[in-house]
Amino acid sequence: MIEFETQVNNKIGMHLRAAGEFVKVATKFKSDVFVVKNGRKANGKSILGLASLAIESGARITVRIQGNDELDARAAIEKLIADNFYED
Amino acid sequence: MDGKKLQHAEHRDASPGAEAREASRATEGEVVRFGISAAPGIVIGRAFVHDTDEDLSIARTRVAHDMVDAEVARFKDALGATRGELLQIKTSLADSMGEDHARIFDAHLLILDDVMVIEDTEALIRTEGYNAAWALKEVISRVVASFSNIGDEYLKERSADIIDVKRRVLAKLLGLKREKVLSPSEPSIVVAHELSPSEIAQLDRRVVLGYATDRGGRTSHTAILARSQGVAAVVGLEDAARLIETGDTLILDGNCGTLIINPLGVTVEKYKIEIEKWKEFEAQLLTLTGYPAETLDHHKVDLVANIDLPDEVQSALDYGAEGIGLFRTEYFFIAHDQLPTEEEQYKVYRAVVDKMKDKPVTIRVLDIGGDKIAGYLHRSAELNPFMGWRGIRFLLTRKDIFKTQLRAIYRASGHGRVRLMFPLIVSVEEVLRAKEICEEVKADLIKGRYKIDPDVEIGIMIETPSAVALAGALAKEVDFFSIGTNDLIQYTMAVDRGNTKISYLYQHLHPSIIRFLKMTVDAAKKNNIPTAICGEMCADPLAAVVLLGLGIDEFSCSPNRMPEVKKIVRSVTYDECKTIVKKILQYSTTEKIEAHVETFLKERIPDLALFKEGKQDA
Repeated sequence: MIEFETQVNNKIGMHLRAAGEFVKVATKFKSDVFVVKNGRKANGKSILGLASLAIESGARITVRIQGNDELDARAAIEKLIADNFYED
Repeated sequence: MDGKKLQHAEHRDASPGAEAREASRATEGEVVRFGISAAPGIVIGRAFVHDTDEDLSIARTRVAHDMVDAEVARFKDALGATRGELLQIKTSLADSMGEDHARIFDAHLLILDDVMVIEDTEALIRTEGYNAAWALKEVISRVVASFSNIGDEYLKERSADIIDVKRRVLAKLLGLKREKVLSPSEPSIVVAHELSPSEIAQLDRRVVLGYATDRGGRTSHTAILARSQGVAAVVGLEDAARLIETGDTLILDGNCGTLIINPLGVTVEKYKIEIEKWKEFEAQLLTLTGYPAETLDHHKVDLVANIDLPDEVQSALDYGAEGIGLFRTEYFFIAHDQLPTEEEQYKVYRAVVDKMKDKPVTIRVLDIGGDKIAGYLHRSAELNPFMGWRGIRFLLTRKDIFKTQLRAIYRASGHGRVRLMFPLIVSVEEVLRAKEICEEVKADLIKGRYKIDPDVEIGIMIETPSAVALAGALAKEVDFFSIGTNDLIQYTMAVDRGNTKISYLYQHLHPSIIRFLKMTVDAAKKNNIPTAICGEMCADPLAAVVLLGLGIDEFSCSPNRMPEVKKIVRSVTYDECKTIVKKILQYSTTEKIEAHVETFLKERIPDLALFKEGKQDA
């Protein structure tokens, strides 16, 4: 299992559409993906689970990935967040 | 895995309604809830939960053990069918509006495929044996509840996307068009968090046994409409819509404001006796129909009816109405999805006038606003609609709508006795401008050789403190006053009548209200014009005594309340009512006033307790 902390920097945070982009990336991999914010955890493959975490712009989140392709998944997710969910 | 467990725990916290529901079901037997008595009558019947939130009412049922796999498969099929539907919308949207717009539906598709929703719904079907439609509805309710707790407006708005997806899937599961489940298919008691006038208008009245709503007070629109339909109603129940499932058995006691959910056999038996007693009382009241509304010392008042729809005219006549004191025209506008034409309106007004023959019909022009906004008028939401662009203010700026309605009313006037009334007057200028427009319309119609009554009486609603203060000047410009007590009390007491926390302030016999009524009647008498009361207040027995004593000429209320008013009028003398008014004008608290009138009335009418009125808002 790998775990890393990161910051969400897109303009309006991980709202529904950004959460959707996250899910699209996460579901490409076999690994389980979870996102933790303030001690609350959601399935990284559930758009509603992610949205219910209310991740606002500037929030710090922890991403936990477990599975055979966890390294590739991490790279893809980090790129997505760095690209601000392709928003801008 | 533990991630999912955590989410479950959060959702349970976010959905207290589900817990309360389980708790109340766990205890054996019936559940009793107390609300506000809004319309008289007692009924026993099946519940139909009108889900304002989702426009769909889903009963919770259990599927047989060997059918669980099939139910899960049905759920997955519905998801597949909805996916096809969404993809189709997305494609056509991409063609017409461009790819960017079509991407909105990516979120819809992701919601549809959401692992959490699918897994949780499937789990509810498999472990509890619930039907797929109910399971999905429950899971989505939890998600939406967790969103509404976040406090992020953007996310809250997105709840609409989630609900939209849910509706599409539910429609597939039920194999129904959405419109069909807006109204019960068999006789039912309609249960809702809140019902808007347009939602009530959409209900099939033939199958509505009664109304039970969480919000509202005695004078909210559900209450007024229920009374005019002669259907029992209890409002202000706080949590009924959450506790009740479609299909539950209910006892609705509109006389006492009680609702019993899934009653025991003995309770049902007890209430059957109550229903018989109530029917007897009603029958006794109806024997008065042929007699005039006259006091023991032969002071006669006009007892007339408030109606919203033309088909209420028959019941008004059956209850002995001597005219229509208030024909509200709003519901007619609300029930349509576009402005009714002159011809359409004329037909409706004409039908009422014809049916009433030579009896007067007072038509109030459109009073759109407040809680009755019609969507097609494209009016933007106002922060404070009760003090906003409504009533005569709206009509004087939308002269097109005003003139169309006036033309229809004047054309109907040629066939009976029509009176015209303007709502929400606060100044003399408004009356003068409205009368000018009436003159223009009349001249046009005469030029067009229409048969009209050129002397249609013009009156105004006295429903603002400003109109009371100006009553002397206004009386010189009009032919009659009609006091709209609901709004007058609301504006005078600065109380929102739908807000259960403060609706206790809505008092018919508040000393300031009685003083305002006196000022109005005195001004009218001085100028030799009659004063009518067209609020619900005149059906309140205590208030009826006061109104009589004040010298009100015309009492207008829901048809089914008329026998009660008549019973009061026929039980007292005008002289003693005048004495009572003199006395209570010296009192400065509602409590003292009510006590004084009640003591008097109890002597006269021993079974007064059967009149369910007055202080029940408290």
